[in-house]
Amino acid sequence: MDGQTTGQATARPPDEPSGAPDRADRAAETPSTAVASKSDRGRWWRPEWYLPGLAAIVFLTAWELFGRATNPILFSPPSRVASAFAELTASGRLPTALLTTLNTLTVGYLLSVVVGLAVGVLLGRQQVLAELFEPYIDAVYATPRVVLVPLVILWFGVGYSGRLFLIWLGTVIPIILNTAIGVRNSRPDLVEVAQSFGASERQLIRHVIIPGSIPYIVAGLRIAAGRALVGVIVAEIFLDLTGLGGIIQTESAYFRTANMLAAVLLIAALGALFIGGLGIVEKRFSSWKQSTVV
Amino acid sequence: MGDAWTRFAHARPWVRHLLFAVVLFGAWEVYARILAEPVLLPTPSAVALAFGDITVTGKLLPALLESMRLLVLGFLAALVLGIVLGLLVGRYTIADRTLSPYFNGLYALPVVALVPLVLVWFGFGLTGRVIVVFLAAFFPILINTYTGVRETPSDLLEVARSFGVDNELGLLRRVVVPATVPFMMAGVRLGIGRAVVGMAIAEVYLRLGGIGALIAGYGAVFRTAYLMAAILPLPLLGIGLTKLFARFERRFEYWRVSTAP
Repeated sequence: MDGQTTGQATARPPDEPSGAPDRADRAAETPSTAVASKSDRGRWWRPEWYLPGLAAIVFLTAWELFGRATNPILFSPPSRVASAFAELTASGRLPTALLTTLNTLTVGYLLSVVVGLAVGVLLGRQQVLAELFEPYIDAVYATPRVVLVPLVILWFGVGYSGRLFLIWLGTVIPIILNTAIGVRNSRPDLVEVAQSFGASERQLIRHVIIPGSIPYIVAGLRIAAGRALVGVIVAEIFLDLTGLGGIIQTESAYFRTANMLAAVLLIAALGALFIGGLGIVEKRFSSWKQSTVV
Repeated sequence: MGDAWTRFAHARPWVRHLLFAVVLFGAWEVYARILAEPVLLPTPSAVALAFGDITVTGKLLPALLESMRLLVLGFLAALVLGIVLGLLVGRYTIADRTLSPYFNGLYALPVVALVPLVLVWFGFGLTGRVIVVFLAAFFPILINTYTGVRETPSDLLEVARSFGVDNELGLLRRVVVPATVPFMMAGVRLGIGRAVVGMAIAEVYLRLGGIGALIAGYGAVFRTAYLMAAILPLPLLGIGLTKLFARFERRFEYWRVSTAP
């Protein structure tokens, strides 16, 4: 069901989990699958349960040995990454960078939510406008943001507003497109009932159309979250070397891979929390949709 | 006004698109000529001239070809490994438990954050760049294939078994892979879009060659009309490839096994 919703909602050009799965689904799915859940649930000595831990230990040990044996600077083993993480945290560099990244990410994301919802509802209601604008929207959506960096520098400079714009540009489009699809798919019978009871366009949008398109909107918000994270890192690496992306790029000039990996891990954690959190919200709302429609 | 709008709304679609494009680009042309600095916003005609120039002088095509080579290599690697590993991880619980956490973690991570690391590790040559494209395209293919395997109806597997298909290879070939193809195709369509992004990131980052280097070069010297002209092929490439693979996807859509009663 969830897969279908997202599938419809993103019958669109590049970039994004559509016809299928996403991380949150899988995370929720993995612990309870097939073999383990049938008979003796919860027995930790069954291979399915101790394997992830064992695999992690094997993997980390192999990396540690390989890293030490070859070139500890270049292939920094886990122990070095851990100490780099502690060092960067103690010196305050990592927390500061995290705050910078979070700040840009949040503001850029919120800007695109506001604009995306408004434009999405408009394009969903005005079929002619949508048809005219969508080729251009698709073209911008299909352009890798990294090649727009020189234009962003010209228009907004390399500072905070440039970073915000780069995030906003990639993030607003999935929200617009999904909202428009949700609005278009709002149930015609409910719209008709509301209209025959004399609802104005404004009331119609507020009480019928928006509630009906929430599952699509939330799917768009989740896709947008992933793109916002990409946007902030692109901006930090290619625009002005700040935040977590800035750490990765600065440290790469000195080949200090332990420091780079520490920042990469933090970005991964940030992504898992942000995207995974919205994935859970999406799941909740898609079941809500199911129960209303059926 | 109302009347004109009604007539416009009832015109044929291509007429509407044409009129809209004329208005849009006309307004841009006028605005850019009168009010804007050419460095900040060149006119559409200047961009078109620049595009003609880089095409005729042979700057664009070689760069595009180089980029395409990178794209094809990285995407093929992602296609093969994504499908093989997706089948493996989807089919075997042991592989699922040992590998999935890493796949999930890496999928949530923006590829761009890995670019500096990959290039430090694998060098600034073709290998490093191909790995960047691979990483971009691999995960959607892997995860969609995985889901497809997981969604294979177990009654089909049972029927096949009771009709004497008892080895794993036979089951894979006759049941699992055909049932997974529609999912794979969705993953492939997503993967090709991401591969284009990965290609652009690797090339802009390195500035060694390909369309990304051309763009970064024009950006560095503020030749904005040429910059825009060099950007132009990328959305066309992305949309074209995605449409192409979406067509394959529809072609195989009827292979999808319906699990609904």
